[in-house]
Amino acid sequence: MQQEAMVREAATGNPEARFRQGSALRQLWETNLEVFQRDRMALFGLIVFAAFAIIAVFAPILAPNDPLTPLKNNEGDWIKDAMPYWLAEPGEDVAEGYTNDFVLGTTNIGRDIFSQLIHGSRAALLVGFSAAAAVAVIGTVIGLLAGYYGGWIDTVLMRAADVAFGIPFIPFIIVIAAFFDPSIWNVVIAMAILLWRDTGRVIRSQVLVIKEQAFVSAARVSGASDLRIIFVYIAPSILPLSFLYGSFAIAWAILTEASVSFLGFSDPETISWGFMLQDAFLSLALTRGAFYWIIPPGLCIMLTVMAGFFIGRGYEEVLFPRLRRM
Amino acid sequence: MNRKLKRLSTLFALLMLALALAAPATAQTMGEMIPPIIVHSVTQAERPIEYETTRLVVENMRELGLEVEHRAIPWAQLIDEIWYSRVEGEGRAERPFQMTYWRMVGRPERSDPDEFTYNLFHSSVRDGGYNFIGYNNADYDALAEAQRVEVGDKETRLDIICEAQQMIRNDMVNAYFVHPLTPQVVNTDVFNADSVVTQAGIGVHNFWTWIGIEPTGEDKTLITSTTSFLNSFNPLEIAGDAPSRVTEMTWDRLMRINPIGVAEPWAAESVVWEDPLNVVVTLRAGMKWHDGEPVTSEDAAYTFEAALAGTTQVDEDGKEEFRPEAPDYHPFARNVANIEIIDDLSVRYTLKTPSAAFETSSLAKLNLIPKHVWEPIINDLLTRDDADADSIQEEIPIGSGPFKYVAYDVNEFVLLEAFDDHWSRPKIDAWLMNVLPNQEATLGQIQSGEMNFLWEWPGDPGVLQDIVADNEHLDLFSAISIGFQYFAFNVRYAPFDDVSFRQAIAHTIPQQFIIDNIYNGFAAPADSFVSAALEYWRQCEDLPTYNFSIDGARELLAGAGYTWDDDGRLRYPAN
Amino acid sequence: MSRGVVYYIAGRFLQSVMVLWIIVTLLFLLFRLAPSNPLASYIDTTFTKQQEAALLARFGLDKPLHEQYIIYLVNLARFDLGDTFSYAGKSVLDILRADLPNTIYLTLSSLLVAYGVGVLGGILMAALRGSLFERVGTTFTLMTRAAPTFWVGMLLLTFFAFQWKLLPSSGIAPAMVRYRWETEWDKLMSPVFWRHMILPTFTLVVYLHGLPLLLMRSNMLEVLDQDYVTMSRLAGYREWRVMIQTAARNAMLPVLTALTLGIGYSIGGNVVIENVFSWPGLGRTLVRAVQQADYPLAQGAFFLIALIIVFMNFIADILYSLLDPRVGASAQAQVS
Repeated sequence: MQQEAMVREAATGNPEARFRQGSALRQLWETNLEVFQRDRMALFGLIVFAAFAIIAVFAPILAPNDPLTPLKNNEGDWIKDAMPYWLAEPGEDVAEGYTNDFVLGTTNIGRDIFSQLIHGSRAALLVGFSAAAAVAVIGTVIGLLAGYYGGWIDTVLMRAADVAFGIPFIPFIIVIAAFFDPSIWNVVIAMAILLWRDTGRVIRSQVLVIKEQAFVSAARVSGASDLRIIFVYIAPSILPLSFLYGSFAIAWAILTEASVSFLGFSDPETISWGFMLQDAFLSLALTRGAFYWIIPPGLCIMLTVMAGFFIGRGYEEVLFPRLRRM
Repeated sequence: MNRKLKRLSTLFALLMLALALAAPATAQTMGEMIPPIIVHSVTQAERPIEYETTRLVVENMRELGLEVEHRAIPWAQLIDEIWYSRVEGEGRAERPFQMTYWRMVGRPERSDPDEFTYNLFHSSVRDGGYNFIGYNNADYDALAEAQRVEVGDKETRLDIICEAQQMIRNDMVNAYFVHPLTPQVVNTDVFNADSVVTQAGIGVHNFWTWIGIEPTGEDKTLITSTTSFLNSFNPLEIAGDAPSRVTEMTWDRLMRINPIGVAEPWAAESVVWEDPLNVVVTLRAGMKWHDGEPVTSEDAAYTFEAALAGTTQVDEDGKEEFRPEAPDYHPFARNVANIEIIDDLSVRYTLKTPSAAFETSSLAKLNLIPKHVWEPIINDLLTRDDADADSIQEEIPIGSGPFKYVAYDVNEFVLLEAFDDHWSRPKIDAWLMNVLPNQEATLGQIQSGEMNFLWEWPGDPGVLQDIVADNEHLDLFSAISIGFQYFAFNVRYAPFDDVSFRQAIAHTIPQQFIIDNIYNGFAAPADSFVSAALEYWRQCEDLPTYNFSIDGARELLAGAGYTWDDDGRLRYPAN
Repeated sequence: MSRGVVYYIAGRFLQSVMVLWIIVTLLFLLFRLAPSNPLASYIDTTFTKQQEAALLARFGLDKPLHEQYIIYLVNLARFDLGDTFSYAGKSVLDILRADLPNTIYLTLSSLLVAYGVGVLGGILMAALRGSLFERVGTTFTLMTRAAPTFWVGMLLLTFFAFQWKLLPSSGIAPAMVRYRWETEWDKLMSPVFWRHMILPTFTLVVYLHGLPLLLMRSNMLEVLDQDYVTMSRLAGYREWRVMIQTAARNAMLPVLTALTLGIGYSIGGNVVIENVFSWPGLGRTLVRAVQQADYPLAQGAFFLIALIIVFMNFIADILYSLLDPRVGASAQAQVS
């Protein structure tokens, strides 16, 4: 994922994206419409995000239990390692360990897995979207400035991108996460610091093309200021590209947050899917064969990451017709 | 500058006015609100049991009307925020710690109550030593000193130890709740279960097992693992639990703590007290170092000399500071005033003050080191400022213990083999310890036979129990530890400087629930720093109990003048 | 090689050195942000203040920041990464020297397998374009790229190691085998080592094969559209020969560049997998060092990974310029 931009350059020799004419908003709207109309997989991705967004917003209502408080039985003891009832053998008594109340069973200290899963969508989407927004905004602005002004601004910004490309991503996040108090925002900050590089480079090269076009020259002649030209005339044309990278960044952020949580550098008070997997791993869920605990968080991660990929690819195919499958 | 001052004083006057106006309403009945409290523990990833326990207690504390933050951080950072942040303005934490989960682990030399009795609570070790909670009680100091010199009369010493335990329990400076039961597993296809020795307060992973365990067949290698770090192989460093297992086998000791917790002569044939200050140690004849050199009284003397070695330096304030070359062992040799070689095998140690614990915590603690190896090293260190014995790693460690070095890869594994020239040669041929932090892998290996001796298990004991039940070739052992788990209060500062407040917090710890649910029954209730495993030292009157009861805690607080405001927040007693 | 190319390479090299210098400087500053006492893992709890001061002096931590920085740069230039806090008597380089080969073996074996599978799969997908197989296959590949590697590793462990007990679960070999290895060659000749490699490699392949596959597929489709391919078709060559000889060869070049880049990034990305399988490599050491607050070691591991990435980026750049005449030409135009 992190090498995507460079690979794309390598693979395609930096193809010229297809841009539309017309008013800025209209262009944007049409591109977005085209992406989701023509690509059913991108539409699927959008639906997945929408569904998880709803789950995240209404998590406290949807989750039957508090995700962190262990559940207690009548004697006041924790209901530990309860298997989901639908996994019990038919005809078997729903005895201790099996319970109707918890759709996905409980963890080794009696936390409700289903409720954790629902609350986990909050961390995933929060990290995913804010990191993607940060990456897209920073990358777009840097790409615009570097491409438009050229000269030393371009040199400095692109060397900065080289530096960002040279810093190992996961190790960087681990160090950041270890040095600051545990929080899901560490991932967002680290991504914002490093991952603008892909977006920045690609957008810069597109700006180089666009700024030579007639409508930009016309604007310049009519006396528009540089900033106005950049943000009013050029930016709308490359916004779909930002969306493309933003979608990939969502996927990448969710995956990264999961990895960092899994390594134990997350905030234990914030339930995330990666945290759930770490908890399961440390609590010997593999030995217990507690698949009802291991599989669901992984599937959720996969689903949201795929959604990001699909949307990104949707944009890619509209913007870079050369890459389109035939 | 002046204007600022003026503005400040105006502000101050206004504030006083406001307070005076508000006074009739609150001052009579309520004190200040108790500021938010931070409770520390390690992270869930590091030690789930400690994290969950803390979480539980923090929630109960909130029910008292306290605002409590649970701060879970990695151990390395915790050391920094607790150990180095005990006093205002010290350390890198914003403020001194208030309350933390803490543990003391069982070690053989802790079989004598001296170490805990003295080091945890004596006011002299308040600033840099183990008394990090800042307990400062002259009556207690007197007891801790008295038990130390009570050499001859064990019963008088017991009375003193009991009184010390009473005092600590009453003052509630540490809220003990469990002595863990360490679950351990032995593969009985490979080893004879009857030959495994359980050492009181420690478990099966002890010196007596290492030399006594009998292989049943051709497989004569004991393979075990550790989840922690194996970062040193050094007789002059106390690096942690796993390295200690290795050093205690590679280097012999003059005495060893036997399975019931009493020091007995080992490499020494005899240990004779001439009077409370003079002890003559005579070595066994014919012992050899792993390089073939004979073990002599020179070495026995040098072992203490190395621990005492150091340089005195004067700091900027003109204060003299002694800097030992073996800082870990220096405290255990410090009481030695003079060492005299009598003949090839005998040495006389003269103490500065009588010490009941000298056998346990010095003769049975210091690793015998070969003078011909260490004298040049220590002499070199004495000329240098930038290093001490901790930073030394011998290429091939030389000891005189029943096992000798074969291979060592830092934080990966240690391989030892039986030393054929030892007078008590082990029954196994080789001893291997792998570093295996992954608990799933540990379980896999003990079942498959890749590992045949599991001594350290920080995970859920219930899982281990199930595994043993499913595998006929595995036997489960468990012993109450000398060590204990507790919450430590920084008694230097409010609100933890108030004994009633601390006692109330003690009532919020659901001891039995923790044992049943978090430890899965693998723990014994604790109420003192002397474990039930040390039966002799627990023959005391019953210690005060603090049953789990939020209402009880509230009553106690109310009795001490604490109040609750309309929002249910706890407030200090008025004035 | 023309002079222009040499100048281009020299220029890129200087640029890489500059980039590395900036990274190293950032790294230095980053580690001054560490929350714990820099010696927390080293200082024993029985230490006095004076001992602590002596230790700070020993590690050069008592000097002003700019002096520390210069010492740090000079040491780095001599490839002296300092002493570890938590491993007695070992330098950072000692530890990393033992880790690096393991990381490289895992990275290379997984990349080679992944790119082999990916290239063949990509050709297959291109050949079967439009079929149900192709659609399912592509979607499946996207799914494998979306699955967290550690989770895939956990699942594989559960079945292959714990349930069926077919493969070892962690490490590179039992210690009884390992201590007899005297050289890296002994290690590579040991079947036990390769058995331990299977699960982590497979886990990584599940993730890594996606990029070459998708890349190969789209390149193939593009190449197949070109005139010369149509020409060879018209010339009566069999379809598979057209696919392999003409199209695949041309579609391979970008995949090779991606592979070069992949080496650097995989070394940084393998951190998680190394921890799942307790693989004694750079990534596991980095995580441990950070957890133990062994900052010189963490810093050293980080530096080494960054060094490899920058170097591989440089190689990929050169490779790209040599393979793609457009870049070569423009590079020559730039410098001449």
